[in-house]
Amino acid sequence: MDTLIQQVINGLSLGSVYALIAVGYSLVYSILLFSNFAHGGFLVIGGYICYYTLAAMGHNIWLSGLLAMVGAGVVAILVEKLAYKPIRERTNVTLYLLIASMGMSIVIENIFVVTVGGRFRALPPVIPTDPVNFFGLATTSAFDILSLGMAVLFLTGLQLFLSKTKWGLAIRAASYDLRTSGLMGVNVNRLISIVFFVAGLLAAVGGIFLSVRYTLYPQLGFITIKAFVAAVIGGLGSLPGAVLGSLILGLAEMLTAGFISSQMRDLVVFGMLVLTLLWRPSGLLGKQVSEKV
Amino acid sequence: MSGYVEGIIILLFINGIAAMGVSLLTGFTGVFTLGHAGYMAIGAYTAAIMTVRYGIHWLPAILAGGIIAMVIAYCIGVPTLRLMGDYYAIASIGLGESIRLILENWQSFTRGARGYPGIDNYTNLPVAATFFVIMAVLMFFLIRSNFGRAFKACRDDYVAASLLGFNTARYRVLSLSISAFYCGVAGALMAGFLTFIQPVMFDLNKSTELTAVVVFGGLGSLSGSLIGTAVITLVTELFRPISQYRMLIYGAVMVIIMVVRPEGIMGQHELGPRFIRSLFNRKDRSPRTAEGGGGR
Repeated sequence: MDTLIQQVINGLSLGSVYALIAVGYSLVYSILLFSNFAHGGFLVIGGYICYYTLAAMGHNIWLSGLLAMVGAGVVAILVEKLAYKPIRERTNVTLYLLIASMGMSIVIENIFVVTVGGRFRALPPVIPTDPVNFFGLATTSAFDILSLGMAVLFLTGLQLFLSKTKWGLAIRAASYDLRTSGLMGVNVNRLISIVFFVAGLLAAVGGIFLSVRYTLYPQLGFITIKAFVAAVIGGLGSLPGAVLGSLILGLAEMLTAGFISSQMRDLVVFGMLVLTLLWRPSGLLGKQVSEKV
Repeated sequence: MSGYVEGIIILLFINGIAAMGVSLLTGFTGVFTLGHAGYMAIGAYTAAIMTVRYGIHWLPAILAGGIIAMVIAYCIGVPTLRLMGDYYAIASIGLGESIRLILENWQSFTRGARGYPGIDNYTNLPVAATFFVIMAVLMFFLIRSNFGRAFKACRDDYVAASLLGFNTARYRVLSLSISAFYCGVAGALMAGFLTFIQPVMFDLNKSTELTAVVVFGGLGSLSGSLIGTAVITLVTELFRPISQYRMLIYGAVMVIIMVVRPEGIMGQHELGPRFIRSLFNRKDRSPRTAEGGGGR
């Protein structure tokens, strides 16, 4: 019983980190309708900025975290301006954006391989990882509780941003129809920049937590595949769906690792993806799109 | 001819066969896939296990590699090809990675992640070239046939094609099966060329590369896919001395081609007298752009 509760807490904690990444990815998808494979790169950038600012400016995780978030957000905007903007202005075939984003993800990964090397780095112990007793029910690490709490905090912040602010309204409008919202007077380019900034920022938070969990290395961005899977399970472009999918995925992964075998966890993840899509082809909470002739 | 150059040419033929398969699916049928390295892995392991463990001659082993990849693709395709667009793309990542993970964890049969050593070096230049020529001719006739037109109809307008009475779901599955056959054969040849295979060779990066060369060459152009393969294979080989920067350049080339010439090197044209004439005669060329893919 103890292990079960412990694994559930671990699963929720991992799932909430996936949620931070999946929500950003889904947000970009809801506006531009393509899978941004460079999203994993934003996460790695956040992780490395945090690592180096921690080393350079004393061990203040809040300041480093903030810099990492802003840095990753700015890089996300730059990536959009450099690689995606010229393509989306010329054509509306989203496939080209997808291939460009894969190229971008390879570029970002290998910039780190070339400059700082591919070795695994551990973040200095700024985030507590000591075991804590969870209401006498189970023992878990403080890190899991903290990452769960932070994820909830940021997701709530995103929800408030999207529902209470003027730009949030514009983003929600654009997710229905980007062109029409442009015609209604929304500055589409600025809107897309804001969306990428938010996506990069959330990815950096996820990146910091993942680099504490798995150490930091240039290929860490591959973990975003799981966040993509989570977003697809929940329904592409749906933010509640992305959160739901991530939590399901995190739980499934940790319960498989805890009770069956650690090697099976990725297989379970992909199996769940296929089964969910067979049952509901547009994800759990996705819009049922009907094709126009 | 030195062994190194010969090796590169064999590699070109093998990658070309795989690229033709992906070209059929992505370029001509408009199904975007990111998991075809998995089918190469199936072909490679089938051929390796058949020749090493059961001592079967390499020729039936290569064909069996292709056929088993085809059968598995058919079984996977019937349920999953109902998914459209990015949903299938993400699902195909999952399928490809699942194949790799199964090969990695099925220790008793595939020897797991450490790889499968000791395969006969049966892929020499004549074998690779013969396979390449035969499969290229077959593919050429396939896309010129009624089937080819049906595939293109599925790509260009899925709904209209089904309204015209094409069983689009069946054509998509057929296209996937044939493309998996090509990738399976390419994988089997790869096993005979390298004499050592490892599940990690057939990971997501390999799948991405397969799709990337097809997009480079031009969606809906068979000769374009082959040119794309040649360019990417040569770029990765030529930059081997500065291997550190190799992947960086590869990624940058990918972005730059998409930004500068998104329709790929050849667009939808085939390399032939007509294309060469149209190069000199630019005014007559109809401004067609590749609009395939995406699947929506």
